[in-house]
Amino acid sequence: MKAEVTPADSRSRAPLLLLLLFGLLWLVASGLLGLVASVQLHSPRFLSDCAVLTYGRTGALAETAFVYGWLANAGLALALWILGRLAGEPLRAQGWALAGAVFWNLGVAAALFGVATGDATGFALLGLPGYVHLIMLFSYSAIAVSGILAWSGRLREVPYASHWYAAAALFLFPWILSIAHVTLFSAPARGVVQAIAAGWYAQCAWTLWLAPLGLSVAYYVVPRVTGRVLPSYEFASLGFWCLIFVGGLTGGRHLLGGPVPAWIASVAVVSSALLLFHTFVVLLNLRGCFSGGGIAIRFISFGIAAYIVGALAGAATSFHGIAAHTQFTHFDEAERQLALYGAASTLLFGGIYFALPRITGRAWLSGGLVRAHLFLSVAGILLLVGSLGAAAVIQSQDLSEPAVAFAAIAGHTRPWLVGATAAQAVLLLGNIAFTVNFVGTACTVLKLSEPASFNPPSAMEAPAP
Amino acid sequence: MRSNVIFFLGLFAALGLSWAGIVLGSNAQLGALAPYFDASQETAFPQGMPGEAARGQLVYRDLGCAACHTQQVRRPGFGSDQARGWGERQSVARDYIYQPYPQLGLARVGPDLTNLGDRKPTAPDEDDLLRMLYAGSDDMPAYRFLFEERRVGSGAQRSDQALQLTGALEPAAGWEIVPTARARALVAYLVNLKTAFDYPEAIPYVPPQPEGAAQPKPPAAPANGPAPSAPKGAAAAPAAAGAAPASPPGANAPAPTAAPTAANPGPAGVSAPTPTAAPAGSQIPAAAGAAPASPPGANAPAPTAAPTAAKAGGAQ
Repeated sequence: MKAEVTPADSRSRAPLLLLLLFGLLWLVASGLLGLVASVQLHSPRFLSDCAVLTYGRTGALAETAFVYGWLANAGLALALWILGRLAGEPLRAQGWALAGAVFWNLGVAAALFGVATGDATGFALLGLPGYVHLIMLFSYSAIAVSGILAWSGRLREVPYASHWYAAAALFLFPWILSIAHVTLFSAPARGVVQAIAAGWYAQCAWTLWLAPLGLSVAYYVVPRVTGRVLPSYEFASLGFWCLIFVGGLTGGRHLLGGPVPAWIASVAVVSSALLLFHTFVVLLNLRGCFSGGGIAIRFISFGIAAYIVGALAGAATSFHGIAAHTQFTHFDEAERQLALYGAASTLLFGGIYFALPRITGRAWLSGGLVRAHLFLSVAGILLLVGSLGAAAVIQSQDLSEPAVAFAAIAGHTRPWLVGATAAQAVLLLGNIAFTVNFVGTACTVLKLSEPASFNPPSAMEAPAP
Repeated sequence: MRSNVIFFLGLFAALGLSWAGIVLGSNAQLGALAPYFDASQETAFPQGMPGEAARGQLVYRDLGCAACHTQQVRRPGFGSDQARGWGERQSVARDYIYQPYPQLGLARVGPDLTNLGDRKPTAPDEDDLLRMLYAGSDDMPAYRFLFEERRVGSGAQRSDQALQLTGALEPAAGWEIVPTARARALVAYLVNLKTAFDYPEAIPYVPPQPEGAAQPKPPAAPANGPAPSAPKGAAAAPAAAGAAPASPPGANAPAPTAAPTAANPGPAGVSAPTPTAAPAGSQIPAAAGAAPASPPGANAPAPTAAPTAAKAGGAQ
């Protein structure tokens, strides 16, 4: 049995803790912005006199802080940690990772400032104004250097599934962003090709970057916690390549019925159905998480469940008959929250609960805050997705009746949108608890002048195999 | 997956596949879409926006209006887009070729704005829109920061642009509410949102009836009752077909090649790719002569009604 805290962990602390800390600060910031946006959705007068926080901007700010602030930082930290562990030695090129982390977050801050003061792009999942792309590109690549070096120095010649997903996310994001930069910013495509390219970027950012970051965590943590080899592991590589090859083609489903060639939507239908094979393999491999115990595995099982439900919903809404009802309603937002919050974010929460005691050598400061975070996250996500979904049903019925005015639709959906606001508040509360707990735990390490001695962590999960 | 090289090449190939298929493929199909020259009106459509309206699109984008408003009328069979009066036909790619930042939008918390400037029976005018932006409502935020509150000196004349407000919104005596340049640009943009011309590709496809499966061609025949999916489309088809009597989109019609190469009515400083020139052997002297005259100059101070002189014949 390997020791819980290896030198590989304790000597890789600096970049990992820095990335996680940045990520958590952005998580809380995006929670505040998301709360404001959510209030404005049912009470448009709220803060409407403040130009910086007009509704069109708060939504973009919250999303940018969440994706590029929280998911990117935490996902990178965990990807580096996993790749480093599988290499069995401390991370190399830590200076690159540290510098990259600082500049990446400067880039996020500049992007938020830009959006708030009038440089919004209007593209979903790509709120970053064009001028921060270069700094984001280079800083991401600098962070990824550490991970790619760890990949090439891995202990076992045949990489594991968590290897593939982490390396794919590290390698592909700079390419996706640079393609988007060229086609949308430096030499913008003409007319609706921009909308198609933006849809392609949003889908790739999900299937080739954020989802692999989350799945890498799940594929690493689940076998270690359950202590068993993943079942049907021989299918894992097929599932991986299915996601990588097919995932980027599914973006066109949001343009169904619009002023784009019909083949875009047809490709999306076919590839969304094909992508279900990947989803099925993930379920097959990771089904052990639904019977495991411990805090990390509870987050991860919730995240996997959300991932699968989200994939099914995405495949269903790529069909004309269903999309005709769900398109342009709050359903899109519900689906996005299920993916970004329910799946990606929850998998990363689970990964952090698993990783931090091993990185710091300390148990979590407060078990109560851990349980509070779990409860508030699960309740908040279910309430958020559920109430947005209910609002979408009403909105969809009303929109299909030409006689129903928009003021009436706003009135009908208001109770459910208030529910979504409550959910945002619950999630924010949970994330504040998480951040406090994280900072407290991390500080116990920073105070010591010498590396923390191994401390049998009581709040840890089942011993690793 | 033993080899690093094969792994990363595989990743690269996968990304390249979707990029080439989706982005390059659609760019090859639509990236060089030319305006459509209508011989009966001697004008090429779509028409560019006047300079102030083009600046207004930047305001629209920067305030994130697309978070709640779409600008696309979907095909028949998708919701109540046409029944709500948002447009008399579906939006097509050609509608957007002169827009540097097409705002298709992803949500309809508010109404679609595709054809706001040509809405039937009455389109809102600039004053209506300014008052709407200033006042806000229960389902739309107010945009007070786009307006200035100014003191009117005693005996001084009120600004001719001051909003005519009544009731609770009326400013205190001696004060007036004046729209800023951004508000005026935004409103100029909104009243210029028009999709007046019926392009041949905007004629909806009417799927053949399941009973008459032998008929492969989509006949524009509203005779056999309302099709289940598209009663609206069936009605619109003959109107659209009648719109372009001079140039049916047949094989040897010189129709869609007119391209005003010189005049690119995007906003100053934004370099939308110039429309590709018409094929060299173009035998349409009328088109070549008429096209440069049609789009207004890029930074003309733009009385906003400039390009509306010729309403499309298709709009009934």
